[in-house]
Amino acid sequence: MSLSIDNLSIHENKATNSPPLFSDFSATVNNGSVLTLMGPSGSGKSTLLSVIAGFISPDFSYTGKLFLHNKELSLLKPENRKIGTLFQDDLLFPHLTICENLMIALPNSVKGKQRRIIALQTLKKLNLSALANKSALQISGGQKARVSVMRLLLAEPQAVLLDEPFSKLDKSLRRDFRAWLFTELKQRNLATILVTHDSDDSPQGATICQWPWTNKE
Amino acid sequence: MFKSPFSSASSSFNTMLLLAIIICFAPLLPALLGLLSAAFAYFPALGLNEFSLLAFKQLILWPGLLDSVLLSLFITLVSTFLAALLSFSILQSMWQSKHWKWIESLLAPILGLPHVAFAIGFVFLFSPSGLFSRFVVLIMGESNAETWSLVHDQYGLGLIILLTLKEIPFILLMSLSLLKQLNLKQTFQTAHSLGYSTQQCWQKIIFVQWLVKIRFSLFAVATYGLSVVDVALIIGPTKPYPLAVLVWQWFNHADLSHYSIAGAGALLLLILAIFTLLCIRVIEWLVTCKWRSWLSSGRYCLPLPGRLTVYICYIVSLLIIPILILWSLTFRWPFPALFPRVWSFSYWSDELTYMSEYINNSVGIALISASLALLFAIIIHEFNSRRTRGRYGFYIPDILIALPMLAPQLSLLFGLQITTLLVPKPYYYLWVIWAHVVFAFPYIYLALNGAYKSYDKRLDMVALSLGMQPFKVWWTIKRPQIMPAILIAWAVGMSVSLAQYLPTIMLGAGRIVTITTEAVALASGQQRRTSAIYALMQTLLPFMFFLFAVVVGRYYSIKNNQYFLARTK
Repeated sequence: MSLSIDNLSIHENKATNSPPLFSDFSATVNNGSVLTLMGPSGSGKSTLLSVIAGFISPDFSYTGKLFLHNKELSLLKPENRKIGTLFQDDLLFPHLTICENLMIALPNSVKGKQRRIIALQTLKKLNLSALANKSALQISGGQKARVSVMRLLLAEPQAVLLDEPFSKLDKSLRRDFRAWLFTELKQRNLATILVTHDSDDSPQGATICQWPWTNKE
Repeated sequence: MFKSPFSSASSSFNTMLLLAIIICFAPLLPALLGLLSAAFAYFPALGLNEFSLLAFKQLILWPGLLDSVLLSLFITLVSTFLAALLSFSILQSMWQSKHWKWIESLLAPILGLPHVAFAIGFVFLFSPSGLFSRFVVLIMGESNAETWSLVHDQYGLGLIILLTLKEIPFILLMSLSLLKQLNLKQTFQTAHSLGYSTQQCWQKIIFVQWLVKIRFSLFAVATYGLSVVDVALIIGPTKPYPLAVLVWQWFNHADLSHYSIAGAGALLLLILAIFTLLCIRVIEWLVTCKWRSWLSSGRYCLPLPGRLTVYICYIVSLLIIPILILWSLTFRWPFPALFPRVWSFSYWSDELTYMSEYINNSVGIALISASLALLFAIIIHEFNSRRTRGRYGFYIPDILIALPMLAPQLSLLFGLQITTLLVPKPYYYLWVIWAHVVFAFPYIYLALNGAYKSYDKRLDMVALSLGMQPFKVWWTIKRPQIMPAILIAWAVGMSVSLAQYLPTIMLGAGRIVTITTEAVALASGQQRRTSAIYALMQTLLPFMFFLFAVVVGRYYSIKNNQYFLARTK
């Protein structure tokens, strides 16, 4: 059970003569393990994540195949891929309370009051029960980051993409949040791809892939 | 200390500001006082020197008043909610799709079509002998075709459809800038990564944020629907009349004793407007706050007819001009023929001789009032932009600026007219221009909003720090950059002024005839050919000023770019 990338190349559509962003990239990320893509800004790391998640902008096109648990991803709409993405910003929905931000992520099979109960239990685990009815605008950056992660996990993804999720946190908060996040992902046995330009962000045991990728064959 | 470029803390700026406040906002107070005095039968000009509740008693006892009130509320609430719902469904289905650019680029021309011209064209399309009926007869045969009409129908369905179709482009246009503030791209990505489809994301995540932000536009739509007279005279129900039309009839009654009932009716209209706005706010609160469990209930959404709405709205709107042209050139067009049998230019040549005076009146009043309103809007924007720097605690709130859009026009005008009667000599043109300035001002102010918000104020600071005088900074730095927006705002003001019916008739005491007042008079009188000509002219005039604004605005942009290119070389 894994997330597989098979000979992926990404091209910029407008620049016909320019070389691809990268070509023939292949990797397999098993459940519970982390692949870290490390490199400078603008080298195509986030574009790779957006291809996997299905958010690729019309300015780019790609060749190659993507599989999640042997299911071809390119045939699926982003919302059906079961891949959760964590961005640099927490992106909590500002019109919803913290509790509702969690409730909205729960699967449809969870009905009625059960949705609120599960959301409240999740907040309790995070020691954030007091914030249940607060707006996303009323809580701190660190709290937002944790709620954002739990929202992602409540949607029950089968793989997770982390697009520099620590870059906007201050140093002390960053270390604690990083440790907590990877523990949560490990517990759920999720295949994870992390994009970062800071080697400290990568957890122990992660496979590190230096970016920009060049096909050495 | 930093100074606002327009100010120089000068007495001339403060004088202009005072003048803007006196002309644009001060009339609202006497308008309310005049309305109250007439409603309470205090009317010295008619020998009524004591306050009494007689007018209210007469109003309550008026046969069919309750029916008119309920009909007005029905038309207003249904058209407002339909317009809001269908606008949202268009956004949900078409936003950033391959057809979106096409939809967006047609918004301005459709919006530019005056309500009266739209209503006249609508009559030509949907009356029992209209183009639509001709098609039905052609397809089904004359004996099988049912006779029906959306013109003057009992329940105001025609008026509801017309208001809905006309307000959809307005709400869409207002939504464009609102949605840009919502960071939709990231919202969609987040929602997709949580397993929500695009449609579900629109309904569960964007809808509530959009609804809160579009509130004031919906208020304006509702107030317009409640107080509209010109369009209701052309297409609205007659048994009973909507309340605004009923008040208008009392106001025009030969028996002057009806004036007090009209006053009480105009006050009732104002109360109904407040009630309607409260209804909209309460429904918004119920949907977004009280019963919000649907927001987080899971990945469900309602099927909304976005594409179908776009087709109907745009096809009807785009058919208006051709049908007006056809009728203006028709000599004989028997039913159920699809095209005129005999064509003629004679109506055009006959009308053009009369029309020149009306065009002069329309354009003259519009030029003066739109230019004055533009000047005042710029002054108020400059004044309000200072508050962001924290120098002044006092500023003019948006709600006050939008008040002429949010209060029934008939109620405000009634009070204004009572006030003008206190002046011994009649200055009809002055009163009419004044009223046009009051009603054009909020639209011009709104049209300038985007340019003022996106302007980088640091440029002013740099220029001032280089020793330039504040007015010179505005004229040489800010004005060239916001000139296209200024021109468009001016054209908006022109189109608002050109389309004014009630202010021209009421404060001009019927002595000033414009293209719009004549178009309404002719349309109410069923003179199809001439009313088509006036409707076309009513459309053509604002279009010319929009064209002028766009062409000159583009010239300014090109000139600026060439200047920078030359500097770069």
